[in-house]
Amino acid sequence: MSAKEHETEAMSELTLGKLDRDGAIREAVAHVSGDTRARFLGKAVVGGAALLGALTAPSVAAATAASDVAILNYALTLEYLQAAFYTEAERLGAIGGNLKQIPRQLGAVERAHVAAIKAALGRAAVRRPAFDFHGVTEDQTKFLKTAVAFEDLGAAAYKAQAARIKSAAILAAAISIHSVEARHAAWMRFLAGVTPAASAFDQGKPISEVKAIVASTHFVVANPKIASRTNPKYKG
Amino acid sequence: MAPRSTFARAFGVSAGAVAAALIVLFVSSRASSSPSALEAPQHLPAPPASALRMPRPVALRRFAVVAYWASVRSAVSGRAWPSSRAEIVAPLATTTPEGTTNIVLVLGRARDRAGRLWIHVRLPVMPNDRTAWVPRSALGVYGAVHTHLIIDLERLTATLLRNGSPIFRAPVGVGRPEWPTPKGNFYIRDELARYRSAFYGPLAFGTSARSSVLTDWPGGGFIGLHGTDEPQLVPGHISHGCVRFRNRDILELGRLMQVGTPVTIR
Repeated sequence: MSAKEHETEAMSELTLGKLDRDGAIREAVAHVSGDTRARFLGKAVVGGAALLGALTAPSVAAATAASDVAILNYALTLEYLQAAFYTEAERLGAIGGNLKQIPRQLGAVERAHVAAIKAALGRAAVRRPAFDFHGVTEDQTKFLKTAVAFEDLGAAAYKAQAARIKSAAILAAAISIHSVEARHAAWMRFLAGVTPAASAFDQGKPISEVKAIVASTHFVVANPKIASRTNPKYKG
Repeated sequence: MAPRSTFARAFGVSAGAVAAALIVLFVSSRASSSPSALEAPQHLPAPPASALRMPRPVALRRFAVVAYWASVRSAVSGRAWPSSRAEIVAPLATTTPEGTTNIVLVLGRARDRAGRLWIHVRLPVMPNDRTAWVPRSALGVYGAVHTHLIIDLERLTATLLRNGSPIFRAPVGVGRPEWPTPKGNFYIRDELARYRSAFYGPLAFGTSARSSVLTDWPGGGFIGLHGTDEPQLVPGHISHGCVRFRNRDILELGRLMQVGTPVTIR
């Protein structure tokens, strides 16, 4: 990270459909869902070999299927979303009362998930999208409702992919994160006055469902264009 | 008293004691052919190591100075106070004259009587130094910076602070007396590079400051920070209001300063 990049930490930095201009989520989703469109297949084939080499632990890389790498990138995308959400709330400092510590505590954990998955993927990690939380990070009630939804979503997304993971080491990693997401979900539900565990068995959510839920939030947006090659019109 | 059985009478033990002995005998015989519930896990393989190196929770770095900016998502009118009935201060467009996303510096927030969230912002309008309130719904992505640029018109220097400490200083050229560089509080709006104009050097930053004299300048007369093809004139009162740097200095500044950085010209 350059000194300049280090200085600016975009607080809300994600998009599906027309919003996903960087293609990060579509890329991750396509890899996992087995999208057969040529451009996604091309990325999966070319990217798969590079992804294997990019993993930090040789034993993991050697045993990692391209589909596992795609699942890691899918997880990374969801972790980006959660981390950005809590980080922005912590920075803006508008969440108080009995929720005051939530952005700091959950943000630190979600950033650790991002760091761990990114380190494992190396250069194969999908790019961080941009996020516009539409003021939710500045509204106590909306913040808690969204936190419940995000944590439920995170747990359900990991659960749905677990059976598809080929590497035992990656499954172990995914499970280690999944249970934390489930704890978070129960915690946020408790705070929101919702039954933390309403059923004896949880169901996972398939990618299509996760994608639709994330898209419905409109939290994922294109990065603002703040640099250009246009000739200056400044006064000189 | 219950009658004792022939077996019990013969060996001097009760029926209960006999039953207990039979149970112990049964369990021990089962144990010899298959593992007990506690012993079974010992026959399972060790759990696999995680593929991830797991860091501790990552606390946010604390900065003494943090400034926030927001992109303008939809054209909106800045208002004098947080209400849709308040006087209009100035309109805000979604793009700059250079075609980049228009951004505003975030100064605070408040809710109106209906509970709608409003954001207090610094505007890129004339007269300089103006602020206004815009609905949060008109803004988009938030960004944070930890730097602050000070332009000293007397000393003809530019100093970049990070967390309040200087990390960069360079001589600058500023506006001639008839075209003065405006004083006040502004911010960096965009960064331009690889354009075809040696006059502006290799890199240019757009600010929210505008000339109060050359108001008919193309693009609205915004003040820029940029390089030059006449480095021998720096420092000095040489420009139409822009702040000129030697090229190596503007490149170094570009390495350290992000869009959204507050700028004070004094």
